Amino acid sequence: MDNTHHFGKFSKQSPKGIVVIYGNLLYKIFKTTWVLLFILLRQFLKLSEEGVSYVYLGIVVVLGLLLFRAYLVYKNFQFKIANNQFILKQGIFKKSNTSISFDRIQNINFKQNLIQQLINVYQVNIETAGSKKTEIAIKALSFEKAEALKKQISLNTVIDAVPLKGNTPLLKISFLELLKVSLTENHLQSLLIFVALLIGIYQQIKDVFKSFGRTDNLKTYLDEGTQVLYGNIILFAFLFIVLLMVGLIGSFVRIFFSHFNLSVFVKHQSFEINQGLTTKKTIVLKKGKIQNITVSTNPIKEKLGISFITFKQAVSGKVAKKKNKLIRIIGCKTNQVIKIKELLFNFKKLESEEKNLVDSYYKTKMYFRSSLMIVLFNIIIYINTENIRWFFSIVILLPIMVLLIRLKFKKAFYKLNDDLLIIGNGRVETHITYLEIFKVQNIKMKQNVFQARKRVVDLVFQTAAGKIKIPCIKRKKALEIYNYTLYKVESSTELWM
Amino acid sequence: MFENQQIDQLPNVDELLFKNIRKAYLKVVLIHYLLFSGVLLTGFFLLVQYKLQEIFPTYIDGIYIGLLLLFLLILTFLIVGFYRRKFAIRERDISYKSGILIKKITTVPFSRIQHIEVDESPVSRIFSLASISVYTAGDSSDDLEIKGILKTEALQIKEFINQKING
Repeated sequence: MDNTHHFGKFSKQSPKGIVVIYGNLLYKIFKTTWVLLFILLRQFLKLSEEGVSYVYLGIVVVLGLLLFRAYLVYKNFQFKIANNQFILKQGIFKKSNTSISFDRIQNINFKQNLIQQLINVYQVNIETAGSKKTEIAIKALSFEKAEALKKQISLNTVIDAVPLKGNTPLLKISFLELLKVSLTENHLQSLLIFVALLIGIYQQIKDVFKSFGRTDNLKTYLDEGTQVLYGNIILFAFLFIVLLMVGLIGSFVRIFFSHFNLSVFVKHQSFEINQGLTTKKTIVLKKGKIQNITVSTNPIKEKLGISFITFKQAVSGKVAKKKNKLIRIIGCKTNQVIKIKELLFNFKKLESEEKNLVDSYYKTKMYFRSSLMIVLFNIIIYINTENIRWFFSIVILLPIMVLLIRLKFKKAFYKLNDDLLIIGNGRVETHITYLEIFKVQNIKMKQNVFQARKRVVDLVFQTAAGKIKIPCIKRKKALEIYNYTLYKVESSTELWM
Repeated sequence: MFENQQIDQLPNVDELLFKNIRKAYLKVVLIHYLLFSGVLLTGFFLLVQYKLQEIFPTYIDGIYIGLLLLFLLILTFLIVGFYRRKFAIRERDISYKSGILIKKITTVPFSRIQHIEVDESPVSRIFSLASISVYTAGDSSDDLEIKGILKTEALQIKEFINQKING
């Protein structure tokens, strides 16, 4: 390819990077101060002409200073490659110097947001399993330079640049298929995300109002709004439909923005995933770095024969906080799922084997806990409202509870062969997790007093990508798996990452 | 070819001879607990003396008895729980078990250990005790920590594991 890019000496990003950095700075400032700006705008209309010109001057000065800052950020951002390490200098006042050795690099991803697409530069993200600080984002490189950088780093690692079998993708999702996927999403979840967003905005507005000492206004306004809603059945029905629509549109937007034009290519040691509408992303996923995968589907998706695969890689610190590190391929057909599994594991024999169900104590435990919850829920409601009417909610809640528990119990299973552990779980959705046993980091067996009576235990596998649990299996069986896992991990010479 | 014949001969973690942690550590546990509950109780006592007495004077005795019972209950759990804390080291892994109501056993293979830490708290230093923690990759909150072994022993274990990892 291009030999002009050696990266032996320190080099800067493309000068266009200033625009990208400037855009990012403006966006960040706008995001934190938009409510304030809005209020200022209203005051602004009342100003005299002289005042207006001062405000304009102020805006120009601030924008100019930010541009200068963007320039400085750009000027001080320099990187090179030396001794199989990627070295980065950055910082205006507080200089920092980061170096990452190639074999620690987990992914090299390309990304293009709207600005980057307009001026035709690529953002290169270099990810490691380490702390957030060591993650590097080079904001603007020309395509050639970005490819050259990837290749340079790839030469020394297992990241391979050339797709296998020419350029035919393993999976490509058309607009129609994407529509299908988004219609069958979990709309409740989309709704919750939307509500969380609203709460975030509300908090922000409240903070600003509070700093002006005017929370009462906002509160009375909102209270009046809720008063109208209360006790009106038609409004409730209307609200329900609106919420449903919001959920639906939410799923639609979410799926379309992040997974538009999804295509997956198979390479020797990795998968390459391209997707995104406003922000285009290219993710290179090394097979060896994948800790475990989960194949998920729900009843409607199952009918349509589609599922999604979640790839989990090593993360440090609390796993739950790093949801964005999960890499997801949506809309996989059955044969594509099989293909991906084949590429990753030797799973053939296991799939046909009989499922090992978990002990029926699991069901008992869930019934006990849920009943307790329902009783508590009713007591709290009764204390607050002193109204017997609410007890009728049990008529609805109980069947739902029984159904969910039965589903959850039915879907919990495990299978084990020489190298691979398969664990199923889920309620409405079905998740099947595939874990290579030698990738387990440590193993734990837990037994509470009730479980002790039934001689069952929970088995918890700790992997670099988080915990995987088999609930409530016979202690004897669990012990066998425990001993076997240790044997497998301790006798393995393969690298787990 | 891929059959799994070895499962019968695998070393069994159930047959391991687990070692108790040092008896002296019970004193450390109790001192920690007394300090903690002492501070809490004094705080509560002061609160009652100056604020709450007027509000519900009749219940005061009952509350004190309840607190005493709670104190004793936690104390028994601590003492019984102390004797349940055991560890074992094999050629290739380290195990730890504990718990009264929820019994737990964890094993960490040496080959997956990222780093090892030996810590001493101010109180345990009086009894020349230390704790040893091993960390694996990923969410480290659930790794293994053995509290209440002699500092010399902790350092020996650390050295032993380091040798096993590098050798």
